Amino acid sequence: MRYRLAALASLAVFAIWLPYGVGSYTIHVLDVGLVFALLAVGMGLAMGVAGQINLAQVAFFGAGAYVTAILTTKSGYGFWTAGAIAVAVSAVLGLLVGIPALRMQSHYLGIVTLGLALAFLNWITNAEVAGGADGISAIPVPPLFGVDLSSDYLYYYLELAAFAVALAFGLFVVHTSLGRRLRAMRDDALAASAVGAQIPLLRMTAFLVAGSYAGIAGVLYAGLIRFVAPETFSLANMFLLLAMVIIGGRQSLVGCVVGAIGLTLIREKLVDFATYAQLSYGIVVVLMVVFAPTGLAGVPARLRSIVDRRRRGGGAAAPELAAFQPLAPSTVDLPADRPALEARGVSKRFRGLKALDGVSLAVRAGDIHGIVGPNGSGKTTLFNVVSGFYRPSAGAVLISGQPAGRAGPYQRSLSGVARTFQNLRLFRTLTVRENILVALDRTRTRWIWRYPLWPVSVVRAERDLGRRAAELLDTFGLAGFAAALPGSLPYGTQRRIELARAMAGAPRLLLLDEPAAGLNGEEARQLARMVRSIRDSGVTVVLIEHNMGLVMSLCDRVTVLASGAVIADGTPAEVAAAPAVIEAYLGDAELSEEMAP
Amino acid sequence: MQVTLQTLVGGLSLGAIYALVALGFSLVYRTMGLVNFAHADVVMTGAYVASTFSLTARLPFALATAVAIAVTGLIGLVIERVLRPLENKDFDLMLIGTIGFGIVLQSVAILIWGTTGRAVPSPVQTAPLSVGGIRIRTYDLVVMAVAAVAVVLLMLFLQRTKRGTAMQAVAMDHEAATAVGIHVGRSNAAAFAIGAGLAALAGALVGPLLFVSPTMGGSLGIKGFAAAILGGFGSIPGAIVGGLAIGVLDSFAAGHFQGYSEMVVFLVFTAIIMVRPTGIFGERTVSRA
Amino acid sequence: MPNTRLPRATAMLAGAAALLTACSAPGTSGGGTASNTGPIKIAIVDAQSGQLSSLGDWERKGAQLAIDQWNAKGGINGRRIEFRVFDDQGDPTVGTNLARRIASEGYVAMIGTAESAVTVAMAPTLQQNRIPNITSGQSPALVAVKSPFLFLNGPTSTTYDETLVKYIVDTKGMKRIALISNNGSFGKGEKGAFTASLASRGITPVDSQVVTTDQKDFGAALSTIRQKKPDLIFIGAEEVEAGLIVKQARLLGIDVPFAGAAPLGTPVYVQTAGVANVEGSIVSSPYLSNESSQAARDFAAAYKKAYGEEAELHGAKAYDGANIILTALQSSGGATGQQLADAIRATRYRGLLGDFAYDATGVGIFATTIGIIRGGKLTAADGG
Repeated sequence: MRYRLAALASLAVFAIWLPYGVGSYTIHVLDVGLVFALLAVGMGLAMGVAGQINLAQVAFFGAGAYVTAILTTKSGYGFWTAGAIAVAVSAVLGLLVGIPALRMQSHYLGIVTLGLALAFLNWITNAEVAGGADGISAIPVPPLFGVDLSSDYLYYYLELAAFAVALAFGLFVVHTSLGRRLRAMRDDALAASAVGAQIPLLRMTAFLVAGSYAGIAGVLYAGLIRFVAPETFSLANMFLLLAMVIIGGRQSLVGCVVGAIGLTLIREKLVDFATYAQLSYGIVVVLMVVFAPTGLAGVPARLRSIVDRRRRGGGAAAPELAAFQPLAPSTVDLPADRPALEARGVSKRFRGLKALDGVSLAVRAGDIHGIVGPNGSGKTTLFNVVSGFYRPSAGAVLISGQPAGRAGPYQRSLSGVARTFQNLRLFRTLTVRENILVALDRTRTRWIWRYPLWPVSVVRAERDLGRRAAELLDTFGLAGFAAALPGSLPYGTQRRIELARAMAGAPRLLLLDEPAAGLNGEEARQLARMVRSIRDSGVTVVLIEHNMGLVMSLCDRVTVLASGAVIADGTPAEVAAAPAVIEAYLGDAELSEEMAP
Repeated sequence: MQVTLQTLVGGLSLGAIYALVALGFSLVYRTMGLVNFAHADVVMTGAYVASTFSLTARLPFALATAVAIAVTGLIGLVIERVLRPLENKDFDLMLIGTIGFGIVLQSVAILIWGTTGRAVPSPVQTAPLSVGGIRIRTYDLVVMAVAAVAVVLLMLFLQRTKRGTAMQAVAMDHEAATAVGIHVGRSNAAAFAIGAGLAALAGALVGPLLFVSPTMGGSLGIKGFAAAILGGFGSIPGAIVGGLAIGVLDSFAAGHFQGYSEMVVFLVFTAIIMVRPTGIFGERTVSRA
Repeated sequence: MPNTRLPRATAMLAGAAALLTACSAPGTSGGGTASNTGPIKIAIVDAQSGQLSSLGDWERKGAQLAIDQWNAKGGINGRRIEFRVFDDQGDPTVGTNLARRIASEGYVAMIGTAESAVTVAMAPTLQQNRIPNITSGQSPALVAVKSPFLFLNGPTSTTYDETLVKYIVDTKGMKRIALISNNGSFGKGEKGAFTASLASRGITPVDSQVVTTDQKDFGAALSTIRQKKPDLIFIGAEEVEAGLIVKQARLLGIDVPFAGAAPLGTPVYVQTAGVANVEGSIVSSPYLSNESSQAARDFAAAYKKAYGEEAELHGAKAYDGANIILTALQSSGGATGQQLADAIRATRYRGLLGDFAYDATGVGIFATTIGIIRGGKLTAADGG
């Protein structure tokens, strides 16, 4: 920690003294580099942290620069007023471009954002008010208490201050709850929504932030060059920005900065060999993508892991799964009359396939309820309907007596429904602790406004979350794995992490989808103990399982599904003897009678 | 009225080019699930190679085009081989890798052929047909005919030949395809090469229509990509319909909105895609869940 | 333990800031002042990449030829002339950055650019740093800048187009004229000047189409023009675009001649459109061919010897422009800044394009001639 602080302080001193040692053209290049660094940070936040492909970043940049230029030269606004309006316009533009992100991702989003960037470029090249192909010149020097900002040296300090604040804010976001939610969304949007992340709003937020950063960069650019023309905001520069972010490491904001400033300086050095320079960027991007996807910023981490692995060979002990600490039993009596979960005639069709056919069941509060059935009988589909991922084609789902209606996974998570997934869906690039922290965070999405308006409350909330995460990790015996990435851990441990994450949301209804799959006998027994303890603490548990021994010993009641319909419902013993069940599993009731002892 | 029909005809011939570009995109996506942002620059490379052989080496246009297709097919193989480790893993990274390749192709083109660009004379020197006062350039008809033939050949390949069916199998389930003995890597490489060949054909054909320059891929590629998405990414008939639609939209926008035509085209495209993200024919793609 | 580090770091930062406020601002001393001895540095700025790079190439060659010839004769008062080529990529913003660079690295004068938009963008910085600039641009926007450091090495669009209209309307009696121009700086200037010249004769164009600088397909615009059945079509666009317009027009069945200013006098225009298609194009240009005078023949021979290519208008303009700067440097004894600008303004130079005599607006030459393209070559028109 003190290492970091000393390094930071010396970096700051270096940055403050830098202008004294460089020529006037070099400082100009650095000024441009800082503008691109701001752009890169905004792009990193949208693309790297939130996983939203944003190829319109130059358009937001252009909007900031052009609005400043138009308002100062044509409407006579003061520079800072125009700048403030420009940042607002860029932010709104970011929101507008983010709307397609609600309906599509990945390559669709890429082409739509690219198309909108071209549309913007086309507009500024033609519009009279934007000066057409000639651009707008003679933008006034920004006034600052008598400091002459037409000097590139002094402008550097203005940019440095803005950049430092912007980077600090960006890092603050990434390392706290909003950043974790964005990263969770990037890793697995489905699972993220199941732990309370409101995906559509988060996507819009990513674009809003990217737009704002680009707007600030645009205002600074207009004040620096005091001339704006369409070519600066072209596709070529968009791809250059993309190269900066990829080479630096899109998931690390500091990496984006390094990539931006580094590439700006290299471009200047190679200006006589511009085409060779362009060729090398292209080659480096390809090599990075294949061999070093985390970019330059990922290099220290990879070196560290290689060193660790070598050192580990010597004798440091690997962390181990500790014992599960039973949860405190619930002292509140659960309402006996109202089922925790009820399905009334739920059907789900996918085009021609009927996955669920009039399923009706009721889960008593405080029960451990099993859902069993042959493969393809619709068990996971039922879970998806209950947790809000699918909307039923017919019928209704009631949770604690309240109709769930059209609520999505996010709302159901906040009203007390949690689940695990058949194929583990942990957040790969988040540590185990961060996985838990995301789920522990029960704040509504609108609380994002705390970040710019009242960041202190975010810090306080972080401390509180951290404490609760430590407790939860201890409870589930995962304290030794807190800093590890889930992908490198044994399967059984990963299953427990997912269970812990589901419990982090303090649910009233817990859906477990094949929690014992792949577990050996001892692990299955531990699972049973945990599930019982969870139930005793007041949570209703519904689990899908194929492990019949587990189902029989653990569940209070069992529902059997086959081909999307309920064929039996009752205690485990009743259900095991029902002929319909035997037929579904073994194929022929008569045959099974012959085989019965 | 005459102007409208003339604009329509102009839009159709460019639309045929967009359709060819979209076909290349869709084929690679359909069989590999890869979105190839280098496709546009492959078109440009094809245009340059074809025009070099036809202008400098004085080869007949068809032969020059064939050479161009062979050369870019090789480029396609190289790209696939380099990006193979990313296939079926990180989609976004593959996307960015192809963007990198695009930058490389553009730089190499500038180093070899310079930055100014060149005009290519039309290989068909006969006078344009005049139908009711509307001029139809003979070359436009050639372009549309060649595009149609290419589409038919492609569909026959995919549906009637063993290699083609294997490609579709890989698209549906690459693990199962491996299980039945299909070499997924080689099948993907073949798909990429064919996609690149289609791009080269588009480039060779479009040279005489427009202008061959290192940046020509930009506009063509983006509109071709938009055409593929509009028609339904992965669908062959969708690529045709999408390409013609974008071509005609582009032509009319240029007629009515003059300078603002690009903006209009992309705003309309965004609106359509928001309403129907899977495009006209719906998306047929690899199942990656 | 960590608690002691934070105060220490803050103290360091505070100390640094305090020291700073005590010092003067950085960059107040130093900067690029040109010296009075040693080589004379001239910057050549042009598009070396992109669609307009052929212009940049010709300019560089013309200027370099002049500089090499002066150096062979001993330079300026014994001082060698050095030049460096900068690529503005046709991008006005890159131009402004280059202007700062030129100012900081001690260049005394600049030759370029051939694109009016970039020149206009660079003008304020060059004016602030008092660096004279001779440009090949012809847009009236250059004159509107009103910089005492900006000079043109050719006539403006107003001159080009007035001469052209005089020939087309007064001499040839054509009445139905259509325009197609691009929305770039040059195109807008051309459109404005041509329309004004027509208006002064009471003629309105039958159609005026505007295309973008990047456009490659002109079917829509040309179809509309064809409907109006003009006698002649004026093109206000750069060489490649003009060539493409003509090529596509012929394919659409438009047979009438085309007319335009300097771009139509270049080999690139002929190559792009195709020799057969440009037959009969009417060109307004102050430098019709390399045969037009003995000086032109000498220039073309030297150009061919140095570069193995045929010289053309833009090379000739840059040659004249470079010679003017070098003449002024000689006559002023290697002066810089305002003195050099005054010397340029006072220079009377007989160039390939004609007699230069700069007025207060920075324009030095006010006449062009009319040529017609025959067999791919530009020849003087009779009656022009």
